Amino acid sequence: MLTKINVGPIHPSTHGVLRLVVTLDGDTIVNVEPHIGFLHRGVEKLAENRMYMQNESYMEKIDYAAPMAYSDLYVAALEEAMGIQTKERAKYVRLILLEFQRIASHLLWLGTFCNDLGQMFTMFMWTMKDRDLILNLLQDVTGSRMFYVNMRLGGVSIDLPPNFEEHAKKLLDYLEKRLKEYEVYLEKNPIFIERTKNVGTLKRNDAIELGVTGPVLRASGVNFDVRRDYSYYVYDKLHFIPQVQTRGDVFARYRVRMLEMRESIKLIRDALKSMPEGDALGMPVKLISPPVKESEVKVRRELPRGEGMIFMVADKQRPYRLSIRAPAFINLSSLRQIAIGERYADLFAILGSLDLVMADVDR
Amino acid sequence: MKIEKDNLLDKLREARKGGFDYLVKITAVDYLDHLEVIYFLRNMSNKKEENIRVEIKNGDALPSIVEIYKAADFYERELSEMFGIEILGRKINRLLLEKWDGIDAPLRKSFVWGSAYKSD
Amino acid sequence: MMDDKFINAKKEMEQLVVDSLKTYKAPTGAFFTNLKKATKAIANGTVKWSRKNSLWPMQFGLACCAMELMDFGSARIDAERKGYLLFRGTPRQCDVMIVAGWVTKAVAPEIKRLYEQMAKPGYVIAYGECAVSGGPWWESYNIIKGIDQILPVDVYVAGCPPKPENLFEALMKLQEKVGGKVED
Repeated sequence: MLTKINVGPIHPSTHGVLRLVVTLDGDTIVNVEPHIGFLHRGVEKLAENRMYMQNESYMEKIDYAAPMAYSDLYVAALEEAMGIQTKERAKYVRLILLEFQRIASHLLWLGTFCNDLGQMFTMFMWTMKDRDLILNLLQDVTGSRMFYVNMRLGGVSIDLPPNFEEHAKKLLDYLEKRLKEYEVYLEKNPIFIERTKNVGTLKRNDAIELGVTGPVLRASGVNFDVRRDYSYYVYDKLHFIPQVQTRGDVFARYRVRMLEMRESIKLIRDALKSMPEGDALGMPVKLISPPVKESEVKVRRELPRGEGMIFMVADKQRPYRLSIRAPAFINLSSLRQIAIGERYADLFAILGSLDLVMADVDR
Repeated sequence: MKIEKDNLLDKLREARKGGFDYLVKITAVDYLDHLEVIYFLRNMSNKKEENIRVEIKNGDALPSIVEIYKAADFYERELSEMFGIEILGRKINRLLLEKWDGIDAPLRKSFVWGSAYKSD
Repeated sequence: MMDDKFINAKKEMEQLVVDSLKTYKAPTGAFFTNLKKATKAIANGTVKWSRKNSLWPMQFGLACCAMELMDFGSARIDAERKGYLLFRGTPRQCDVMIVAGWVTKAVAPEIKRLYEQMAKPGYVIAYGECAVSGGPWWESYNIIKGIDQILPVDVYVAGCPPKPENLFEALMKLQEKVGGKVED
């Protein structure tokens, strides 16, 4: 006897608005069908009707947990289309701010994941407090808490303030201590271990065939990271190492993200040491942008959720077609194959470990 | 590289055997008298990339490539809904605008941005 | 020796007293009606005071403004110190619905149903530009321009996204609307 359960659109555990129709046989899952589109607003069509520099603030609202990463992806596509080089000091400044953004996004994931597993509300409170400290540091640099819009053609809009280095070093020491506390709190907890080990396994061949990206791919044993393979900014000078685990279950995805946070702390320290002096300001914002030299461009970046790509066909003053590859979209489509055969209570652990943001899925 | 619509399935099988095992995205561009559909592929072992372009007229139908690449499922559904291209061999087509039946192929150039809100 | 007119006068006086007693209306239960009015006023005031000081919000974060709602409820910007505790998942236990994020045509019937499930009197706050008037996506084919096309809204908060401190002021204005002045 098969029963169908509707996990409705507005639910405290789905991150955003997502509807799942689950077919059960007793307690085991037989089929999962996601219905999406509750947050679709047509960003790709909107981008064709605005000029180049007006589009930057719309790109940030696609993924609201790490907005600076999408705005950096879009401005990099514009720079390649107009033939503008990024200044040397600006590469280091952008790298530092993006790695802080990555730590903030992973801390948010950790808080809501522990909330899904059974109301471990303590972790939510602790990680949101740490994330707030990072956002205050970014507010000192750019002026805004959440939607920064600080990337310009060729650099950034405002350089780092003079006392940034000591504030950042104090914050990094504090964060390292806190990460060690989180690991002790979670990995010696028998409830956490039983709920996450050997649950939702994804093997290496399936991961490549289903097209998943980001920490989900690296937790299944595939050694691929855009920061090392198609390197940009100064990642190759700072000796970056991708973190890979081989088991492929929910615990491995958790482990990859914790190790990535430590790697980001190490990268920021190295970049602060070897940053050159100079000028990091980009061109000021004008409605008429410089002339376009190449008409078709393709740019890739490593967003906190996976690999993002923009393919743009450029017209004179506005894009003719802007096609965005969102990492959460393709990660959601692998939910069906992972969840078949598991129990119903494990569905939310698997959904939480994929790290979805629904506005990224629907665009 | 640019190929004809009839060789599409053979060319993709050949690419799959040649080591391109990861599908990155399927997208389309609307030039006003024809459409261009692009398949982005990648080889995971030596990190090389390849783009395969197909040109189709308005009203043509494309074959479905789900047997060759499993990741093409959601991309094909989004493509057929946003551009109005018919894809043969699929049962379910609508993905993002499931509950709203009044909008047809919004990403084409014939759908003017801002035309739907005056009737609200 | 008593005269005759004095006996008559005594009888007349007694008759006068009896007659005036007939037309005299004693105030029956005046004490009790005043007591009833006084208790009604105290009870209304108490009910208003308790409704005003314990607003329980329902979490309704749809999009980016939900990040600021999560910050509003957590440790640094604390919502519990002013009494807005316990963001609940079910509408049966809440008074205030804070709508944060843009509303599309697919979600709109669900929001209407949730508003009707909330026990009356219930209030609605529109948080952020997208719930006030459609926001940056006002020309889109899939968006409802403002939540006040479906629900009756009490307080509007502008910003993209508004800082969580603005939500404090909005809730204090709602408290004044519910019943009387609020001291900080």
